[in-house]
Amino acid sequence: MAYKKPLPKPNADTRPFWEGCREHQLRFQRCGHCGHVRWPPSVICPACHVSETEWIVASGKGRVYSYAVYHVAFHPAFKDDVPYVTAAVELPEGPRILTNIVGCSPSEVKCDMPVEVVWDDVTDEFSLPKFKPAAHPD
Amino acid sequence: MYLKKLKDRYAIAGVGYTPQGNVAGRTALSFYVEACANAIKDAGLTKEDIDGLICYRHFEPVGNDTEVTPYLVAQHLGIRPHILSQEANCARGHLLHAMGLMEAGFCNYVLIVYGDNAHSGRRTFIREATHSEPADDNAAFGEFGAVSNYAMAARRAMYLYGSGPETWKEIGVSQRRWANLNPRAMMYDRSLTYEDYLAANWIVEPFRIYDAALISDGGRACIVTSTERARDLRNPPVSIMGIGEYNLSVDIHQSDFMAGPTGTKEAGKIAFEMAGINLDEIDACEIYDCFTHTVEITLQDYGFFGPGEGRDWFKDGRTAPGGEMPVNTSGGLLSEAYFMGLTPLTEGVMQLMGRCGERQLGSATKTKEPEIILCSDNGGVFQTHSTIIVRRP
Repeated sequence: MAYKKPLPKPNADTRPFWEGCREHQLRFQRCGHCGHVRWPPSVICPACHVSETEWIVASGKGRVYSYAVYHVAFHPAFKDDVPYVTAAVELPEGPRILTNIVGCSPSEVKCDMPVEVVWDDVTDEFSLPKFKPAAHPD
Repeated sequence: MYLKKLKDRYAIAGVGYTPQGNVAGRTALSFYVEACANAIKDAGLTKEDIDGLICYRHFEPVGNDTEVTPYLVAQHLGIRPHILSQEANCARGHLLHAMGLMEAGFCNYVLIVYGDNAHSGRRTFIREATHSEPADDNAAFGEFGAVSNYAMAARRAMYLYGSGPETWKEIGVSQRRWANLNPRAMMYDRSLTYEDYLAANWIVEPFRIYDAALISDGGRACIVTSTERARDLRNPPVSIMGIGEYNLSVDIHQSDFMAGPTGTKEAGKIAFEMAGINLDEIDACEIYDCFTHTVEITLQDYGFFGPGEGRDWFKDGRTAPGGEMPVNTSGGLLSEAYFMGLTPLTEGVMQLMGRCGERQLGSATKTKEPEIILCSDNGGVFQTHSTIIVRRP
């Protein structure tokens, strides 16, 4: 059955991230000068304005910074998913990314809960990084 | 400091209303135009006096509406201002722009306006609903804009210091009591109890329907001019005693201000320093209240109470009619109508002009006679904050 939910729309800045996701890698830019790991992707480092950059692959571990539970489907394709959880997950490398918490009920999600990435291969082109409760919390 | 020289130099001289609430069969543009014409009339000016027009941002047109631009508004008003401007993405600097233009000598009478046919046009303020295809990668995760973005921020505040529905129900119920005194308010005829609030379904948890602003048809405008010029006009002028804006400018998901302090803190500091007053000189507040939690965090960041202390502070109707610190006396965005920052600001102005009838601060509502009112406006999801302190000169 065709995938009905919205898909990412990679642009010149975000394409490397989404290409990484297809290979199940969370890729971020690290500043070659100050070491700041930035998100969203950008042409220069917002901390020091240096453009020299290397791409790193994040470990896939993180913690729930905060979250919200959708009880209403704002888009028809999510009708069968409610209640579902969107969250800002903070990665130890620095960035905080918007994602879903899966693999537990919404009532089990807590702020600062340890989580780890789980890949949702939604189409041939796109894999979405989602997070589930960590199997072995540090 | 230069700002101090601007204290009380500019004033709001007129307010324009339109029919509001559910007003079917009208374009958004028609509300802009009517609100502007009424503000001009209210101030006792003619349209030829208007030399500046600043519009709030306008969302994507609904139905077959054309896009609202300042050119169109000016055309329909039959005016040719020196300056036309429209805010792009919720940076709420309208009053600062107006004051800057007047201080530099470009303008003398500036109109600020917002209007929408959001209710009858079934706008949801969710991009998905007005775009055939969501424009944001977050949509891939089922994340659709303002409600959940604010809900996520509120959740962090619940986790860190015990914000939550017990606090927000007080805010929602107290504002509804103000709306019940305001015949213009969409919720004028509808009471709201704690039980109603707690029984309501979640939209995006931790927010229930009563935590969210209304969606309204209608428009609102005001006219800014020098206090000196305003003295010759129809209404008693209400001067801008202090003003400050601060833009944290980081998407809420990456921000470090989900649980505060938001830009309120810095914007407030600038405005209070300019005004040369303290919090205890504030008689009432008109706070941008897109969600109940926004009222809590804004007043918390101004310093009315410490993190989490809002749970007690809002109790016993402190902010309701008869309370010691009235907040959102029209009913606000939650219970009057949604006209962005013009709902709170124009209410502050009308209160100080003494034109609020049954809900008038003072003896009519067993509250303090207002001399100074603290108003706020927010943009984005806590990305922009604007503080405006107005007073009866």
